Amino acid sequence: MNVMITGASGGLGRVLAIECALRGYNLFLTDINQAGLLSLKQGLERQFKVCIAVKACDLTKAESVDELMSFIDFHGIRFDMLINVAGIDYEGGFLSQEREKITKIIALNNEATLRITHDILLRRRPKRQFSLIFVSSLASMYPMPLKATYAASKRFLLDFALALRQELKNQNVTVLTLCPGGLVTTKEAMRGISAQGFWGNATTNSLEIVARKTINYALQGKSIYIPGLLNRILSFVGKILPRSWVATLIYFRWGKAQVKWQR
Amino acid sequence: MKAIVITGASSGIGFEIARLLSRNHLVMGIGRNKTNCEKAEELILSENPDARIVYFVADLIQQHEVNRVADEIIAYLESNKNIQLHGLINNAGCVRSWYTTSDEGYEQQFALNHLAGFLLTYRLLPFIIKAKGRVIMTGSQSHKGIKMHWSDVMLRKRYNPLTAYKQSKLCNILFAKGLDDRLEDTGVKSYVVDPGLVKTDIGNKQTGGLVNLIWSIRKKHGVSPEVPASTYEFLLEKHPAPPGLYYCLFKEKAYSRQVTSENADKLFSLSQKLCGISYDRREKRL
Repeated sequence: MNVMITGASGGLGRVLAIECALRGYNLFLTDINQAGLLSLKQGLERQFKVCIAVKACDLTKAESVDELMSFIDFHGIRFDMLINVAGIDYEGGFLSQEREKITKIIALNNEATLRITHDILLRRRPKRQFSLIFVSSLASMYPMPLKATYAASKRFLLDFALALRQELKNQNVTVLTLCPGGLVTTKEAMRGISAQGFWGNATTNSLEIVARKTINYALQGKSIYIPGLLNRILSFVGKILPRSWVATLIYFRWGKAQVKWQR
Repeated sequence: MKAIVITGASSGIGFEIARLLSRNHLVMGIGRNKTNCEKAEELILSENPDARIVYFVADLIQQHEVNRVADEIIAYLESNKNIQLHGLINNAGCVRSWYTTSDEGYEQQFALNHLAGFLLTYRLLPFIIKAKGRVIMTGSQSHKGIKMHWSDVMLRKRYNPLTAYKQSKLCNILFAKGLDDRLEDTGVKSYVVDPGLVKTDIGNKQTGGLVNLIWSIRKKHGVSPEVPASTYEFLLEKHPAPPGLYYCLFKEKAYSRQVTSENADKLFSLSQKLCGISYDRREKRL
């Protein structure tokens, strides 16, 4: 099994890489952070007997992705799984952020994800089942004031993935969308979760369990994975309430959390 | 002049050891946060202008940072030939509420509480051997009542913060035991100090929810970090070297029955693999 993971040297990408290595899959890891990739490669090779290739790439730049693809083609690597982890968010309201930061969210979470997905789908291992995984978010279930761009970018991924799943179902490709609540991936994520108090902790999922189940569900051909019962209930509530109500509710809750966070 | 390297030296127990030892040693402290290191240095010097203290900044959870700071310390020692590295105190430790990993993909409590000290000791060992120095780990009573999870040391199957902490503290004693077994003829001695329950912020840094809450309540019953600091001084200074392995308040204390040479060897070979080093090869070279 050959697996490509984007955003591999960040918190979730790293744990998914560990999970795959534990299962004996060969890995091709990419990230914008070259040093992080090298550290991870070293750590994984010391723990597991699997082949690990790494190459840094800025997925938001077409030339960088082209270079990555020529490297892959030069070595004749073909894939059985793509896990799209690379993504970004900047905290703060729309007008309190710089313009370029806002457009960067879309450039990476959406545009870059489409770019790499298109290229890797064309490099599937022939006549084999291919698993495609998108990392969306619980945020994709709602319009989220103060996280408006991020939530919308994750909604894009969710809808795109569900549609693509139908398009490719006769071509041996399954598509899974992961919609986690909070994940403790970075110090900032940790602070964010603490700032949200009870609800932050309650909607936080264990990284190691999410990683394991994500791969299980992808192999089983499931379409959506929302970790945690509470998160599944919350996403259901988001579906039955009018979307404008949901936005009002979330603004009320996030507004308080942000004040606490910025203190 | 005798130098002592102390990790986690900008706060808690490590800071108190640094404050105490800087009166008659050169203390080389390592801390994660530059501002905290500067503040600690300022505070120590404001109390005692003759204190000899220098801080190095490194996030020891990451192995590349351990190696970088080791390079810096080695360069410092090599350019100051009159300084002997008399002691290394592997004190830095953390608690994590959730499964989190280092840049190398190692679980963070295991990476910092055990592997960082294992690697740093290896890097500084030639200097410690030359000075017939001592290596001291900050352990804990909580190492008791647990076995090593050999098939899943990083607790990937189901992470539990307390299990990870207890196991990492068992690793400290196993490491000290393994080090003693290997360095018997060199005059180097290793110890683990049980500081007791101490009022520090270990359970409030980068933790959340339950761990944070429980520690906030529990630490109120703890002693001030000055209390255990003198035990470290005792173990560094006492001649001849105290014979035991595990000490609390100047006294030898019983440790877990899990601390066997067999377990120590097993941990040694696993840690060597995870750090990409070999103590055995180093011994032969010396």
